[in-house]
Amino acid sequence: MRLLLVEDHVPLADELLAGLSRHGYAVDWLADGRDALYQGASEPYDLIILDLGLPGTPGLQVLEHWRAGGLATPVLILTARGSWSERIEGLKAGADDYLSKPFHPEELQLRIQALLRRAHGLANQPQLQAAGLLLDESRQCVRRNGEEIDLTSAEFRLLRYFMLHAGQILSKSHLAEHLYDGETERDSNVIEVHVNHLRRKIGRKTIETRRGQGYRFSGEAV
Amino acid sequence: MKSIQQRLSLGLISILLVIGLLLGQTSLWLFDLGLRSYLQADLRDEAESLLVAMVRGPQGIQLNEQRLSAAFQRPFSGHYFRIDFADKTWRSRSLWDSEMQPASQPGLQDELGDGPQDQLLLTYRGDYQRFGQQLSVQVAQDYTPVLQSFRRVRQMGLGLGVAALLLILLLQRLTVSRALRPLEQVRQQIAQLQQGQRSELDSRVPRELEPLVAQINHLLAHTEDTLKRSRNALGNLGHALKTPLAVLVSLAGRDELQAYPELRASLLDSLQQIEQRLTRELGRARLAGEALPGSHFVCAEELPGLFATLAMIHNRGLHLDWQAAAGLRLPWDREDMLELLGNLLDNACKWASSQVRLRIECTAEGYQFKVEDDGPGIDAGQRAEVLNRGTRMDEQVAGHGLGLGIVRDIVDAWGGHLELMDSQLGGLCVQIQLPQPSLHKA
Repeated sequence: MRLLLVEDHVPLADELLAGLSRHGYAVDWLADGRDALYQGASEPYDLIILDLGLPGTPGLQVLEHWRAGGLATPVLILTARGSWSERIEGLKAGADDYLSKPFHPEELQLRIQALLRRAHGLANQPQLQAAGLLLDESRQCVRRNGEEIDLTSAEFRLLRYFMLHAGQILSKSHLAEHLYDGETERDSNVIEVHVNHLRRKIGRKTIETRRGQGYRFSGEAV
Repeated sequence: MKSIQQRLSLGLISILLVIGLLLGQTSLWLFDLGLRSYLQADLRDEAESLLVAMVRGPQGIQLNEQRLSAAFQRPFSGHYFRIDFADKTWRSRSLWDSEMQPASQPGLQDELGDGPQDQLLLTYRGDYQRFGQQLSVQVAQDYTPVLQSFRRVRQMGLGLGVAALLLILLLQRLTVSRALRPLEQVRQQIAQLQQGQRSELDSRVPRELEPLVAQINHLLAHTEDTLKRSRNALGNLGHALKTPLAVLVSLAGRDELQAYPELRASLLDSLQQIEQRLTRELGRARLAGEALPGSHFVCAEELPGLFATLAMIHNRGLHLDWQAAAGLRLPWDREDMLELLGNLLDNACKWASSQVRLRIECTAEGYQFKVEDDGPGIDAGQRAEVLNRGTRMDEQVAGHGLGLGIVRDIVDAWGGHLELMDSQLGGLCVQIQLPQPSLHKA
């Protein structure tokens, strides 16, 4: 999952970056509204966390521009302005959720998870599940028929992305774009290695290889 | 305070009454005076003709009956005379059996004398010398018909005066109400302002009212501007304080602190207290209260947005609905009202299992709000405690007490009343009664 964090308060951004990375998200961080306006619309993010009080362009205007330009990425607004009239304004500008500062880091993680599931049409699931697998996002492990399977951080990221896009064909470059932030060197061989590790743990047939196209998380239980 | 219309009418009535009575009475008096001096000439002529009618007869001086006016012969004709000699008195036949009092001084008498048959007599006395004798001739004329006609004129004058007064009052009322119409318009507009039906006064008014209306509009704009600025400043302050607070909350959850659970708990507790206090006080400071008379909340415009926001935040298939009269406008500040309803509904959504309902009704005294849910509700015994202290009943569902705290602040600022009851849906029903805000309140 690749996230964009737009927050101008550096200490908070540092904290959020650390927390989000621990939870297996690849995060790009911007502090200026004008940069966010451009980069949010041009990079393929899975979710955007947007602060409203930004230098350059105010957060609400950035959001309105994105929505006017047809950007469908879910946006979570993060703000200290928690009055109801401001929340309604945020929603009208096109936000998908609203979290007022200060907040508990766990609360933010839960909102992000819920928002991602909702964005992929899995709104009513309390936990991510597909192909007989149940993903525990807080402990970063997967369960099949009550049997717990430990995952490395990279495997967890990959599996979560597969489970959110069950049945879709995902190319290696697409996976690389969504699993690594903009600063990381992308090497498609690394993806191949992680897919092989994952297959060894959850079963060979769960992830098919489509030659020349990419991978497909079949959703078939083994 | 009496109305301007009343004051003007009262002033006009008293002025017209005083002047009318004074004028009427004076003109009658002048007319009476003129008439008497005119009659005096007549009476002197008659006295002189009586003198001429005196002839020296066989038994001394006697009156020539043929030269006397017939009116002196007919009894109670209204014309009388009396001639006093040194030793005897002659009276006209018209006096019949009654006596005429002798006049005290020569010339026309100031007082009217008593005559026969309740007649009032205007009397003239002339002193003459004839045939070597001193004599005084006293001639009188009945004045009652003149007095009667005076009385009639006075009555008619009074009637006419009253009619004229009424007519003048009516015309004055029309003129005044026409002249004061702009003032009445301003009064109505201020009432509309108070009910939230307009946000400023119409500035097209007569020159005399221009400064007043301009000043009111200026004050309204100024209040709104001040409110906006202070809200913005509070927002900035909140932002400046809450962002570092978010950092602290996040830091307190770090792995390094896991080894010191007590330190961590005490840190988190203090941070939570700061957050609660900050939110409550900032929320309270943001309230417009009744400072802005032109403010209003249009249900049909604002509620859909609020409910959409609630549905987004509580994204778990809750059935949310609201009922309010079509086109209902509430005479309170939009942000305050959103804060009140937002917090109430947010609480209801946190506790509801499937349904939340808002009903707004107009009552005789003002408005009634009911927010109901089908959640677990609150035991009757605990309700007072929840209301009084704004305590958190359940740590799992954050902010229940806090939300009610700001709701209480808003309701108190508007002079309303908050009550917790059982809902028909099975959960809690928060009922709020808000009185119509009025201009007359101190």
